Amino acid sequence: MIEAIQLHKAFGTFQAVREISLQIAAGEVVALLGPNGAGKTTTVRMLGAILRPTSGSARVAGYDIVDHAREVRNKVGLLTEFPGLYHRMRAIEYLMFFGALQGMAPAESERRSVQLLQQFGLWEARDKRLDSYSKGMKQKVALIRALIHDPPVLFLDEPTTAMDPHSARVVRDAIAELRAARRTILLTTHNLIEAETLADRIVVIRGGAIVAQGTRTQLSQQLLGDPIWELRLGQRSDSIAPLLADMVQIEAVGDDWVQYRCADARAINPQIIARVAERGDPIVALSELPRSLEDVYLSIMDEGVGSWELGANSSHANPYIERVGSQTSAADTSPHPTTPNTHSQEVQQ
Amino acid sequence: MSVSAIRTITRREITDTVTDWRILAPMFILAFILPLVLVSAANFAIRFIADNNTVPLLVPFVMLLVGFIPASFSLITALETFVGERERNSLEALLAMPISDNDLYLGKLTSALLPPLMSAFTAMGVFCVALWMGYPTLFERGLTAEFIAVIVLLITTKAVVMVASAVIISSHTTSVRAANLLASFVLLPTASVVQLEALLIIGRTARALTVLWIIVLLLTVVAIALIRTGMGAFNREEILSREHEQLNLRQIGRTIRTFFREYRPAGVAPDQYSGALFDLRRFYRRELPALLRDYRLPLAVALFGALVGLASGGYIGSTYRVRALDSYLANIGSPPRASVLLGLGIFGNNLRVALLSNLFSLVTFGTLAFLVPAVAFAQIGFVASSLSERGGSWLALGADSPLQFAIGYVLPHGIIELPTALLSAALGLRIGAALMSPPKGFTVGQNILWSIAQFAKVWLFVLLPLFLVAGLIEGLITPLIIQSLYR
Repeated sequence: MIEAIQLHKAFGTFQAVREISLQIAAGEVVALLGPNGAGKTTTVRMLGAILRPTSGSARVAGYDIVDHAREVRNKVGLLTEFPGLYHRMRAIEYLMFFGALQGMAPAESERRSVQLLQQFGLWEARDKRLDSYSKGMKQKVALIRALIHDPPVLFLDEPTTAMDPHSARVVRDAIAELRAARRTILLTTHNLIEAETLADRIVVIRGGAIVAQGTRTQLSQQLLGDPIWELRLGQRSDSIAPLLADMVQIEAVGDDWVQYRCADARAINPQIIARVAERGDPIVALSELPRSLEDVYLSIMDEGVGSWELGANSSHANPYIERVGSQTSAADTSPHPTTPNTHSQEVQQ
Repeated sequence: MSVSAIRTITRREITDTVTDWRILAPMFILAFILPLVLVSAANFAIRFIADNNTVPLLVPFVMLLVGFIPASFSLITALETFVGERERNSLEALLAMPISDNDLYLGKLTSALLPPLMSAFTAMGVFCVALWMGYPTLFERGLTAEFIAVIVLLITTKAVVMVASAVIISSHTTSVRAANLLASFVLLPTASVVQLEALLIIGRTARALTVLWIIVLLLTVVAIALIRTGMGAFNREEILSREHEQLNLRQIGRTIRTFFREYRPAGVAPDQYSGALFDLRRFYRRELPALLRDYRLPLAVALFGALVGLASGGYIGSTYRVRALDSYLANIGSPPRASVLLGLGIFGNNLRVALLSNLFSLVTFGTLAFLVPAVAFAQIGFVASSLSERGGSWLALGADSPLQFAIGYVLPHGIIELPTALLSAALGLRIGAALMSPPKGFTVGQNILWSIAQFAKVWLFVLLPLFLVAGLIEGLITPLIIQSLYR
């Protein structure tokens, strides 16, 4: 649905986006994650045919973003970073205005506006002027504006920036509904929770270039190493670590617990349980330690990982790694470039 | 162009304007209260001035005022159009719509223009009706149908000029504050035009109406040029790129050097230049002929200006007596003493005129450059026809002969100086047009830099030597020829 090939944008001498290549399938939700000034908005503006790329090309919904800019704008719904509503208007007037600019007939535009206002829970407030809406409601109206012409592709640019937690939640729920409806969505954000909860795939962008991409699990696996498991016993045991050392890599040990890395938990954990039970130690709990996307993200941002794409179909030695772009880094030279991340949860003895 | 998109944008903006009491209240006062107040002041004016012939002279001026004040309100709405939306973060959603840049621009322009213009028409209508009902004699003596028509058109064209300028400012600034500061560039010339109109209306000279019609015509030309400029310069890319824009003098310098070093037609991006250094031989042999070919249109416009000037000067010389030029005509046949200093003085003057008129062309849309050959040729036409009016023959030599004047005063140096002035004017016209319609491949900025680079190159290597030769001929040879002819 979206295909960008070496998309590049320079404003004078400032390189905003550097040769980004991206493919998003129909129905896929991709989060473009990166700090402020990383080039997320410029990328979205290029893909939305508002800005012309300096070089490279892209097709959205089958149309070239330069040669068929108007068609692209018709196929795309853009939720801007700030709702930017016309505050003196009422919701339905506002939506019908954008419907008309999208070339919709007034009756169709009205029908769709009514339907979406009801769907997003704004029907009761339809007669109020937009300046009386809360932040969350305003962002919902902006989201409806992006959906008014029923576009197959949605670009959501920082949809919850500067919102209070409640409003952000409201908007996230609305996006989750769109995700469930199998729309193709490119979501730009620097909010890790948003990326983690809403996206099928995450593309990390820094300094205008893609530095990593893959599913959250793939990124975690790649950048933080194998998952860490914690085994808790019902009594103090000094010999638990030596007992498991030949099976797994021990990360940390306490009086009545041990943490270890394990790539294939399904195969290894039953063996561990059997060995501990055989010795007569009571097992209280065995659980995987949660690792947040924040750890992954900070790992990428802090350690300067090169350009890596993580995908199950890669042909490289590491099944999760496929190098993209032309950047190189120390990490690029190894087929297994990862080391356990410094931000991972390490329990002090 | 989509009329439907323009109408949609216009309708929304106008609805927004007329539902805002902060705009509506002053517009109502200016449209209904002000005219009535001024009409009711007529009685006071009649008693105060105590001259029944003077008060009617003020009536058209008051009508102009009544129309101009609400029309000037257009500046406020027009300055807001793009930069206001940008500050309210609502512009990007509009730019993401599948409508053309021209549709968006024209929609904004129309919406900024219509409410104040309607308000101005209403105000003038209220004024006329109230005056006619309250003071029918004053109405009949003060206003004719022609005066009403010319005032309505003056207000309309001025409103279009103000709005078109303000929309250009609005689309090229990054804050409403900056746009408001730049509004003085619109207000000051407009206020000057109003003052001139007031003088013409109150003075009520024989040709006042003719001059007012000419002002209408000129304002129409300026309005069209401004709308064209706005449409040419407006695009989504430029508006959004302005977020990253910073004044980069080094980059400007690099670009202008690139354009200076080698000649490529306008529209060829700087990165497509070969990077060859400037070569004088290549410039004279290949680049100058190519440049002159590409400058055919501005050259033709400059020539047209010169011919219009010649004809106008001829008409004025045969119709009017211009007292200020009497002494000049009386001194024909008495040239200044030939000297190098005289020649260098003339050279310096020509160079100064060419330089200043061309550089100021950027802010006058080439008008100044256009005026230079027009005025020069008008002087020739005026003197020649004045001499002919004195009885001089066009075919035989003699003290009052236009032919002898042309041979003595114009031909020796004019054969070089006049074509040089035409070339200079063409370069200035191109600079003036740079804002209006950048060719494909160029931004407005690149187009301006390109035209300035061509001017600099031609000024340095063509105009300067030619003006020097023409000046020296005029200082050293022309006086001798005049002396021998008028002996």
